[in-house]
Amino acid sequence: MENNNLLKVQNFSLSYRTRKGDVEAVNNISFELRKGETLAIVGESGCGKSSLARGLIRLFPRNIKRVDGKIILDGRDVLSLDEETFRKEVRWREISMVFQGAMNSLNPVLRVVFQVAEPLMVHFGMDRNSAFKRAKEILGLVGISSAFAERYPFELSGGMKQRVVIAMALITNPKLLLLDEPTSALDIITQENIMNLLKMLKKELNLTYIFITHDIALTSELADRMAVMYAGEIVEISPVEDFYRNPSHMYTKLLLDSVPTLRKDKNLKSIPGSPPSLIDPPSGCRFHPRCPSVMDICKVKEPPFYKIKEGHFAKCYLNEGR
Amino acid sequence: MNNELLRVEELKVWFDIKKGLFSKPVYVKAVDGVNFTLNAGESISLVGESGSGKTTLGKTILRLYKPTGGKIIFDGKDISDSDLKNMKWYRRETGLVQQDPFGALPPHFTIYRILEEPLIIHSIGNKSERRDMIYQALEEVRLTPVEDFAPKYPHMLSGGQMQRVVIARALIMRPKLVIADEPVSMLDASVRVEILELLRSMQDRHKTSLIYITHDLATVRMFTHWIFIMYAGEIVERALTKELLSNPLHPYTNALLNAIPEPNPENRNILKEVPPGEPPDLVNPPLGCRFAPRCSQAKDICSKERPPELEIKDKHWVRCWLYS
Repeated sequence: MENNNLLKVQNFSLSYRTRKGDVEAVNNISFELRKGETLAIVGESGCGKSSLARGLIRLFPRNIKRVDGKIILDGRDVLSLDEETFRKEVRWREISMVFQGAMNSLNPVLRVVFQVAEPLMVHFGMDRNSAFKRAKEILGLVGISSAFAERYPFELSGGMKQRVVIAMALITNPKLLLLDEPTSALDIITQENIMNLLKMLKKELNLTYIFITHDIALTSELADRMAVMYAGEIVEISPVEDFYRNPSHMYTKLLLDSVPTLRKDKNLKSIPGSPPSLIDPPSGCRFHPRCPSVMDICKVKEPPFYKIKEGHFAKCYLNEGR
Repeated sequence: MNNELLRVEELKVWFDIKKGLFSKPVYVKAVDGVNFTLNAGESISLVGESGSGKTTLGKTILRLYKPTGGKIIFDGKDISDSDLKNMKWYRRETGLVQQDPFGALPPHFTIYRILEEPLIIHSIGNKSERRDMIYQALEEVRLTPVEDFAPKYPHMLSGGQMQRVVIARALIMRPKLVIADEPVSMLDASVRVEILELLRSMQDRHKTSLIYITHDLATVRMFTHWIFIMYAGEIVERALTKELLSNPLHPYTNALLNAIPEPNPENRNILKEVPPGEPPDLVNPPLGCRFAPRCSQAKDICSKERPPELEIKDKHWVRCWLYS
């Protein structure tokens, strides 16, 4: 293990209890993340990408059934900590998160500067004045002037609210920032503004991101590495260049074929069928019912990770003997 | 041209948000001076950010809103002022594909009943004829075997399947004009392409005219004949798809095209040039060009006088002082 590894996730699994049966939302996921690196996790809705993120920061819904594996942050297994220690020492101090559509969950009756400063007062016991001062600094960093800091959320536009939410996540100076669809509710030009901001913050603060999205074209704006999730599993993980040039899992290939591009002529294809139910996932490779080059072995035996090259792994039998 | 289906002239839709007995009314100028024509069998993509008035324009064309000013001429008939009671024929000639299939289908109706409803309202066919039409419609949107799907309720379908039902419902009357308002924005990436292809093939087959409303320029490329770019209640540029994409003129169109992420790993190392700020408030829109406050090429006149809409080239209109 390299020394500059910030995060190491080993055999992480997560299941929920529902009336119809247990849902294996995340199944046996392992990956590593270096400091300053951005990992993008892509997949269709219901593939478990948000569950994975919420698992990393340990915000489980009430119907959680089972959590397994290890999450090693800076050499410490944070999954084995008890809830109180995790809350005090890890959540928001070391790992922060920007939630999907979070700009709509700002408290409407509090000024934004207070909402940004609150974690400092709660987690660090800072007094009000210095917390507010620090909050204004961070708001300035994300492009909100101090005049706007004193306003209420309804006085801000969508893009500005999203900036406020990013400031909230950064105020405690976390090592790892989870971004769950940070721009999915924004207009395209505002979205690019936010992506520019995230790029700038990454450079200036040497932040480590896990960027979760379903928009594959957008990942290229931020990601150093890509992980493709399907039905609760990572099926391919690769440096971003290889993701576009040499996709090695059939699902990744089809996913890339379905991305419309503006400047190139391309025959768009869609993936037949829909993702499987995670209550009773398909045997073998979970993608085999939708895969156009399915073989007999895919139906019965779960494929191992094939190493395509350094740092590039794909869970697909088509790479056998390549 | 003689196969003109729809003509919109200086269309204005203003919503009053404050009306008092003595005070001056306050309006949101959601659509302000829109002109275009649409020929039978042709399709338009109406592209703009949220709040640009694209949905309002679509709904007004369907006469779900009453225009404040201007004209809508459909098939030679001026419908901008007609009484809603005399509009039943128009409902038959037009169809709507809503954005949210989960909210657009009545949950207590079966798929069969959902598709039969418009046929009953317009008293078309007898029971067995209607049945044939419904089965054919389901087959066209590839919800097969139709016998299995017809008795189902909406909640038993996936999002993509629901959207197919919405499309089938919009097209079962064989309307001359269909408006699709962000038909795929609620769906997963992998089914989006499929639904768009379906919509296009249906449009081809029945020679329907289509207005496709979207904020996603990346999907329009191979989809429609025309692209109209809307900003703050105005169409700032309109041209044939190829022409507009290869030769965008308006600074806003350029900014919009620039902002679309391309799957290229180099992107992460560069900052993009994006116009600062937000679209203007439509209660008090800027006096001159509405994009002027954010435009890097703005001149003096831009903030004083509204630019005229000019046909710069054959079938390429733009509303910008740079070209006047």
